[in-house]
Amino acid sequence: MSMPGEWFRRLVYLVRRRAMDDELRREMEAHRAQMADPGGFGNTLRLREEAQDAWGWRWLDDGAQDVRFALRTLRRTPGFTLTAIVTLALGIGVNSGMFSLVNSLLLRPLYARSDEVVSVYRRVTKAEDGPRGLSYPNYLDLRDGTTAVFASLAASSAWFAGVDAGEGARRTMVYAATADYFQIFGRPLALGRAFSAEESRPNAARRVAVLSYPLWERRGANPNVVGQTVSVDGEPFTVIGVTAKGFTGTSIPGPEVWLPLGTQGWLDARDAHNLDVIGRLRDGVAVQSVPPALATVARRLEQAFPSVNGGQSLEMEVPSRLLFMPGVGGSAFTALLSLMLMALPAIVLLVACLNLANLLLARGHVRRQELAIRGSLGGSRGRLTRQLLTEGVLLSVIGGAIGLWLSTWAIRATLAALRPVLPVGLTLPDLALDWRVLAGTMTFSLLASLVFGVWPAWALTGRAVVTDLKRQVGDGGREPGGIRVGNVLVVAQVALSLLLLASAGLFLTSARAAATVDPGFRLERGVLAEIDPSLAGYDDARARAFHLGLVDRIRALPGVEAATVASSFPFSSFGESRLVATVPGGADGVDAVFTVIGRDYARTLGLPTLAGRDFSDAELASGSADRVAIVDDALAQRLWPNQTAIGQTIQFLDAGAPDVKRPLRIVGLVPAVKHSLSTPRPFPHVYVPLGQSDSTEAMTLQVRVAATQNDRAMLTTIARTIRDADDRVPILGLETWRDRLDSGVEVSIFRAGARVCAVFGGIALLLAVIGVYGVKSYVVSRRTREFGIRIATGAHPHTLLWQVLWEGGRVTAVGIAIGLVLAVGAGQILQGLLYGVNSVEPVVLVIAPLVLLAASLLASLVPALRATRVNPIAALRAE
Amino acid sequence: MPRDTGLPPGTLMMVVLRVLTRQPLHGYAIAQTLRQRSGDELSVEEGSLYPALQKLLLKGWVKAAWRESDSGRQVREYRITPSGRKQLDAEMNEYRRMASALDTLLKEA
Repeated sequence: MSMPGEWFRRLVYLVRRRAMDDELRREMEAHRAQMADPGGFGNTLRLREEAQDAWGWRWLDDGAQDVRFALRTLRRTPGFTLTAIVTLALGIGVNSGMFSLVNSLLLRPLYARSDEVVSVYRRVTKAEDGPRGLSYPNYLDLRDGTTAVFASLAASSAWFAGVDAGEGARRTMVYAATADYFQIFGRPLALGRAFSAEESRPNAARRVAVLSYPLWERRGANPNVVGQTVSVDGEPFTVIGVTAKGFTGTSIPGPEVWLPLGTQGWLDARDAHNLDVIGRLRDGVAVQSVPPALATVARRLEQAFPSVNGGQSLEMEVPSRLLFMPGVGGSAFTALLSLMLMALPAIVLLVACLNLANLLLARGHVRRQELAIRGSLGGSRGRLTRQLLTEGVLLSVIGGAIGLWLSTWAIRATLAALRPVLPVGLTLPDLALDWRVLAGTMTFSLLASLVFGVWPAWALTGRAVVTDLKRQVGDGGREPGGIRVGNVLVVAQVALSLLLLASAGLFLTSARAAATVDPGFRLERGVLAEIDPSLAGYDDARARAFHLGLVDRIRALPGVEAATVASSFPFSSFGESRLVATVPGGADGVDAVFTVIGRDYARTLGLPTLAGRDFSDAELASGSADRVAIVDDALAQRLWPNQTAIGQTIQFLDAGAPDVKRPLRIVGLVPAVKHSLSTPRPFPHVYVPLGQSDSTEAMTLQVRVAATQNDRAMLTTIARTIRDADDRVPILGLETWRDRLDSGVEVSIFRAGARVCAVFGGIALLLAVIGVYGVKSYVVSRRTREFGIRIATGAHPHTLLWQVLWEGGRVTAVGIAIGLVLAVGAGQILQGLLYGVNSVEPVVLVIAPLVLLAASLLASLVPALRATRVNPIAALRAE
Repeated sequence: MPRDTGLPPGTLMMVVLRVLTRQPLHGYAIAQTLRQRSGDELSVEEGSLYPALQKLLLKGWVKAAWRESDSGRQVREYRITPSGRKQLDAEMNEYRRMASALDTLLKEA
């Protein structure tokens, strides 16, 4: 006997079921006709069905019948069906949308076999600071010394450059990388090729570039892009390739352009520690064998170059996934962040499921009579349960499908919302749905239908049939059990909605606090313009002259109170920092924001000069003058507590910086300003004059507008003045200081958080309102008889109205009370993450409950009004 | 009055196969033959016979074909297949072994 043969025949029976059934019918009729007593032959239909059971397809027929029946039932109650599907679609949509986001940004491996890739960094053994980069000569020695463990070891260096890819110059992130960089990721190229070893060699003659997929897409997705030219910091590079879609390197976000490392001018210096190093392990090499190999190289480097490499170790780490949070490659952090991000949609899903349970339960009670009749006619409990389950699964499949569609839409909306937050051009991984999301969505929706479909189904089919039939006829009154369960579900929904609404309120409070922060200088009537003359081909000296000349022109404009240039503006996303130490001594440096400034910087920002003087024209014009600096009192207090700062000498300890360990004399002292919202105290600042810096290309022009002038109106005047000076110099940004603070990363993040929480809170609120409405409607419909009698005996409709509203309000109030406790708990967590909020924000904790209460009363109002309109005669006759 | 066989489905299938080894038969004839052979002791209900026949068809132990009966009626006739004979032999051997073991056991006990 052959099993495959049997299965094949079974399939034939399935396909030809109708013909087979017909054959069976004819066969049985013949049998019956031959019998002496044809009446002795049983029920032909039933006999045929029994015979067909042998084919093993009964379940399929029953299932199809269940589905058809469920579709019919659902179509007959469009209100219920629509509500249930919308509820599920919202719950599932926000979850799979958020999961796609979390998956792409935090969970999904960024490249193939990512577990074999480690990042190698340098640590100064004495200092308690984070990982540091390697210099090119050290990288070469490391590469040659670790060939036993690494199949390839690549180095890259990231910076922000003005890139013009035919769409106007923009500030964007650029990587310079060695030839084996792309090899580590298995050559993730959509077009063209990666760098050759020759092209990555120091001082390589050929200037080539690889574009990121989004950049290539933005400039028209031209398949013949290879061979075209892109300009980086004013220099032309020939495009040789385009990276694969979604490729960002080891971390997020990635750069928009990759250049060969050979383009960099500092590669010869052993103390220019600018390189991030990543390596792919050799096949079969355990990750544990890496540290000893690194230690050996570190020892050798220390002996050979003690002045540069003394007291340093080489260590390895999982490459950090989020670029702007170095050192958090660890999975614990990403797991925590994922968990926090997923908590919001999970709460919405929970509310949606509670709602669904409520809907199914209420509907089940309404259908009790039908179920009782079907039960008494021989429908088994299992069969009835299966029927109810089929309805649940059908709802969840439809809801899940719509939810999936909703989520792709939500991802697009999120991406659009993220774009303005990103201050410069960056490459993000693909946020598309993948199979994980599909699987997740299907699991969510099936779980929802199982948990919230099985329970009512089982509860309903297990009843005593007779009691149900009887009660249905005689009793239209209260049903304490069902209503109580419904009320508990509503309480949970209200509480969870309040939690989300209150969190949204905290984010909003934080965004407002951040936007109204006192930065330590006057934000009003300030305008800034970001310009980079190097994009127009200016070299360093000419750029400096251009800036000084431009400031003079601006200063001469009517309505301008003061103007200056600086290498950065407070609250800008990217600033430079230096380790500042005193001379003599100064083993340990103080980390300070490093800003190159022009004349009148303090006056333009509205800061008084506390002591000393501003930079002189000679100091601003060229580096030949005496080397000087201005510090703020935050730095002065750290370096010389209780001493005067003027006349002291400082030095920068950063190896690789061009001005390392050259003494600077302090000539001025200014008040501290906040450079970022995330630091509660002002961060120390050190300012050096324009003439002392050799990277003066990209500067921010800062203008203080006179009180008589409108700062927004001034924007166009300033743009025109810059164009008059040289219309080839692109204006990379032009806005008021207030707008810069508002559109900065920090405020934007809080605002985005508020928006996300508000959307989730709004959805939860909507679901809770649907829940309240559903339960109230159900209660009113169950109590039609009671209301009828009371109206007949003279009860005023208002009494009934208030009674229904009061009962609804009571349930909501319990939910709000629980929700307040949850909200304060969430506040404790959010307090540590948000700017300027307390765990208990009275405004939030008053407004959010009021919104909920109003919404829930409104939801009870419709059923309550229905109660007052009960026609007593009709209500009593219906019995 | 013949009693319903009450035979377990597997045994009924073997009995039907055994009947079919002599000649191909249609459903009614199978039921009649079983009844006569058992000396009116056993009868098989249509409710058991037809599921058993469907199972035999699925297993490939019998084949069915329509033909005209002696009385000029269209009947569906079942014929045992080689694999059906093999199965029957195997089951018969198993049955005999079992029966003789039981026999010995019952006599000696």
